[in-house]
Amino acid sequence: MLSFGVAALAKGMLVTLIVTLGASLVTSVLALIVGLMRVSPIKPVRWLAIGYIEFFRGTSLLVQVYWWFFVLPIFGLALSPWTVAIFGIGLCASGYGAEVVRAAIQAVDRGQYEASIALNFSRLTMMRRIVMPQAIRALLPSWGNMLIELLKATSLTFFITIAEFTSAAKLAADTTGNYLLFFTVALFGYYIIARALITPFVRWLERRLSPGFVREAMA
Amino acid sequence: MNEPRVRLQNAAMYYDALTVLGQPNFPMAQNEKIMNQPMVRFENVTKRYGALTVLDKLNLDISRNERVSIIGPSGSGKTTVLRMLMTLERINDGVIWVNGEPLTHMQRSGRMVPANNRHLRRVRGQIGMVFQHFNLFPHMTALQNCMEAPVSVLGLSKPEAEARAADLLDMVGLGEKKNHFPIQLSGGQKQRVAIARALAMRPKVMLFDEVTSALDPELVGEVLNVIRKLGAEFDLTMLMVTHQMGFAKEFSNRVCFFYGGKIAEQGSPDQLFGDPQNERTRQFLSAVLEAK
Repeated sequence: MLSFGVAALAKGMLVTLIVTLGASLVTSVLALIVGLMRVSPIKPVRWLAIGYIEFFRGTSLLVQVYWWFFVLPIFGLALSPWTVAIFGIGLCASGYGAEVVRAAIQAVDRGQYEASIALNFSRLTMMRRIVMPQAIRALLPSWGNMLIELLKATSLTFFITIAEFTSAAKLAADTTGNYLLFFTVALFGYYIIARALITPFVRWLERRLSPGFVREAMA
Repeated sequence: MNEPRVRLQNAAMYYDALTVLGQPNFPMAQNEKIMNQPMVRFENVTKRYGALTVLDKLNLDISRNERVSIIGPSGSGKTTVLRMLMTLERINDGVIWVNGEPLTHMQRSGRMVPANNRHLRRVRGQIGMVFQHFNLFPHMTALQNCMEAPVSVLGLSKPEAEARAADLLDMVGLGEKKNHFPIQLSGGQKQRVAIARALAMRPKVMLFDEVTSALDPELVGEVLNVIRKLGAEFDLTMLMVTHQMGFAKEFSNRVCFFYGGKIAEQGSPDQLFGDPQNERTRQFLSAVLEAK
């Protein structure tokens, strides 16, 4: 009985890791794009980004996932649970992420923009070479937050038939009756992913992108 | 100030006026006209922030290689003059000309229309600026700070840009520090890197916006020395907003005293500092001298 539980948990953990990784990639790419659109000098582009952000932040993640999973097939588009899990969570989180990107871009010192104009950079070069390297470095701590939130949100994919870590723990606990053991293991399971994978990865990125900053010495 | 022009050849290499005259939009017949034209001309330039008029119909001509200091109380609009010329501020009225060509406007079917971004980029390439707070790129070394724009704007190859940047960092006395990040440099060193960075674009006009105001007093001298050196070695038109009256007196050909969005008085340093005609100028100068 116990070994069945452990096997289910291990499988659940793997599923959670895969969904987390996939959704993190989707979110990172989309948040960067939408965040940049959000500060575009072109108004319609900005409006589009605002609409995107408000929609994905303003509606429930679970309902969004249900919608992709149960409603899209009505229009003839049936997506696999995996696709819905990765893109559903990724899209939703990117709404939050885009605002993080915007805040980081706008927090870059005004003088950096002025120096870029004085050196006659094109807007694209200014964003690519001067603004974004500083903004991305500044947004990493919030990015860490977001990825950890995203990790925990993956448990909602149970509702679209994915046997991820939380549901595996619940199943194991129900089957064996050992709620103390399995839910405690589940608690630590998430903690370990966050603490042993996400946090060190984000810290590593921070260090890599930190030459020239004071905090390099403090990290 | 009266240093021999030892590096003139070097300077001529950087600031070859002929390259401008050879540009397609400057036909040969116009060359002489251009040489006689002011390097910078403010023509009835007005700048407002909402209801507040910061500059009121400013008219100011600056000749080629002239060094003009702008002094005046805070809020008199003196920094705005530089910021408008660098296109960091839009003007509300009037035209700014650079090297005989409108900067803020362009001619379209015989009419002057506000400049588009492409026009701005083309004309402002002749202008460089050094800021009060340096504005170095913190994620790049001194050398990279000086290479970035020559590579990505002028299209220089990396080795070319690096040679140019290293030369200029040597010139400002920071050859040894070229691989340091701004955070590892003192204020005076940062400002010297900023000067080298601006020069790497080979501007014809250099703007200095209170470049020593953020520095500890003992670091002011090293920056002023670099500016003196520029005056001696490069063909540059220089426009500086400064609180260093001594330096303005020694270095500039002309001093403009701004008050309430207008030039209240202008003249040679000897004239303006020695025998100011305007009551406001006298008040300002005595207040500044008292503070010392």
